[in-house]
Amino acid sequence: MGLGGIIMDVFTPILEIFVPIIPGNIFPYFFGETINGEPLEMFQRALIAALMVTIVAGVLGSFLLIRNLALIGDGLAHVSFGGVAVGVVLGAASPLWYALLFSTIAAILIHELQTREILTGDASIAIFLTGMLALGLVILRLDMVFNVPVFGLIEINGGGITTDIEGYLFGNLLLIDEQSLDLISLICIVSLISLMSMRSMLLATAIDPLAARVQGIPVRGIGICFSIITAAVVVSMVQVVGTLLVTALLVTPAATAQLVGRSFRSCMIWTQIFGIVSVLIGLYYSSELDTGSGSMIALVSAIIFALTAAVIAIKNTILSPKDNIN
Amino acid sequence: MIWNQVKNSEDSESILVVDNLSVSRSGRMIISDINLKVSRGEFIGLVGPNGSGKSTLILSILGILKPHTGLIKIYDEKPMSKNIFGKLGWVSQAAANLPSNIKITVRELVKLGTLKSSSMYKKVSNQKEKIDTAMTMVGIECCADCDVSTLSGGQRQRAVIARALASEAEFILLDEPLVGIDRESRNSLLKLLDKLCHEQQKTILMVSHDITAIRQTAHRMVYLEETIRYDGPTENFPDLTSLAGLRGITPVHDDKHTIEPHDHNKCMEEE
Repeated sequence: MGLGGIIMDVFTPILEIFVPIIPGNIFPYFFGETINGEPLEMFQRALIAALMVTIVAGVLGSFLLIRNLALIGDGLAHVSFGGVAVGVVLGAASPLWYALLFSTIAAILIHELQTREILTGDASIAIFLTGMLALGLVILRLDMVFNVPVFGLIEINGGGITTDIEGYLFGNLLLIDEQSLDLISLICIVSLISLMSMRSMLLATAIDPLAARVQGIPVRGIGICFSIITAAVVVSMVQVVGTLLVTALLVTPAATAQLVGRSFRSCMIWTQIFGIVSVLIGLYYSSELDTGSGSMIALVSAIIFALTAAVIAIKNTILSPKDNIN
Repeated sequence: MIWNQVKNSEDSESILVVDNLSVSRSGRMIISDINLKVSRGEFIGLVGPNGSGKSTLILSILGILKPHTGLIKIYDEKPMSKNIFGKLGWVSQAAANLPSNIKITVRELVKLGTLKSSSMYKKVSNQKEKIDTAMTMVGIECCADCDVSTLSGGQRQRAVIARALASEAEFILLDEPLVGIDRESRNSLLKLLDKLCHEQQKTILMVSHDITAIRQTAHRMVYLEETIRYDGPTENFPDLTSLAGLRGITPVHDDKHTIEPHDHNKCMEEE
């Protein structure tokens, strides 16, 4: 049994407790509602994957925002789409491993280009985003055989944008199989432990990298580790919300939390609350209205942000009007 | 003429020795022939005009920039040596101007100062005590749970200094801590630094444009413009005319060339 199977064994009994109070016709299946006495494992796997990814994405997103790297998730998600496309045309059993390899390399290169000031701002992210998305789209249309020295004949069967590929683009929780859950679980657990153990150093390097260096914190090493973790978490999110919507879970809950949090710790807690609420409401409506899970989660997440921002703006206008600015 | 009035007493311990230092940036020599010794417990004001090399000197001392020639020793070690991590505290100008997208309380900010390179993943011993002591020292304990972005400029500077104190640094380097703070905060900040120097035996090297303010506090002044033009006791720091002489600035106006407004109008008419 893989890591995903162990997590399923631990958490499905807990989720089943909530079945009697879960509304809807389809939504209860995510918690373990049975058909002919048997729960639908596919649905349970989907919910557990979504919750794991949301928790890790929330922690990662909090650090991405303070490091002004809100768009790197989007960039790496597109890179991972390129990786998935390469994996699919090469006939890989689990294309996510290709996505992990491609996005890790891209994350390290983007970090180096930015820290060495070869490219400033988000230019490096934009180049990788478009370049790797283009590679994915091109390679999916190819249908040919290459003779590569050492490797021999390599057959490329593009096949175009199939339902599987759409699942990677827009997210399809129900396509998460046991192998994918193993990889997602591994990434989530390792990333969460790494982020929590490095949290003070990540905060110190984000606030004042120079002071952190003087303190003896390995700023460059921390930056590279953070880039690798970001790449891995983004890959784990691809099947949950899709390449095009990764930012919804990575950045939106953390940005909403910044509107209400008063400390970094409280922002982290609020991020988790907003993230999990977005996923649960998004899954409920997507299952009941039969829409895409990723897009509905992203939409709910954006609505929660808009509502929170509106409430805060109204509260600020009434309670503490600003200076005489026109 | 380069004034070099400081003769460090033989018995005082030099914690910083800068010997014949030259540093270039982007192919241009920014500072050259810098010789400086700092003893424990000194409060030194490093002053100079924009682009004079103050930041370059500080960054070289911290080990961020490599010297072109010369040598820097801090506590008898090279900059960025493992043995001096924790002994140096750096209070940058940027640190007090935290971006608004970072929600962090004073306590959380000060806590970052307790991180040690030797125990990054371990729980720091007496961490809470160190944080509380540092906040009390700078008098910001009342704002411990306030978001740093909601504080005034002076309070923010105090919070950043508390972070450096929480690391139990002996030698504190400050870059323009007086910028962007009001008159009252400026005075209390200078008093705080003086107190840290006398009561906590901290050594302080402070960069500032505000010569008048720094003269009221520092024991010793270093005037830098490409090289050290003055290094001596604060009370002997040259007045504005002498300072202009040091900088090679000659008087522009004399009696002969002074044009009265009437004469000026006359010239215009003649043209």
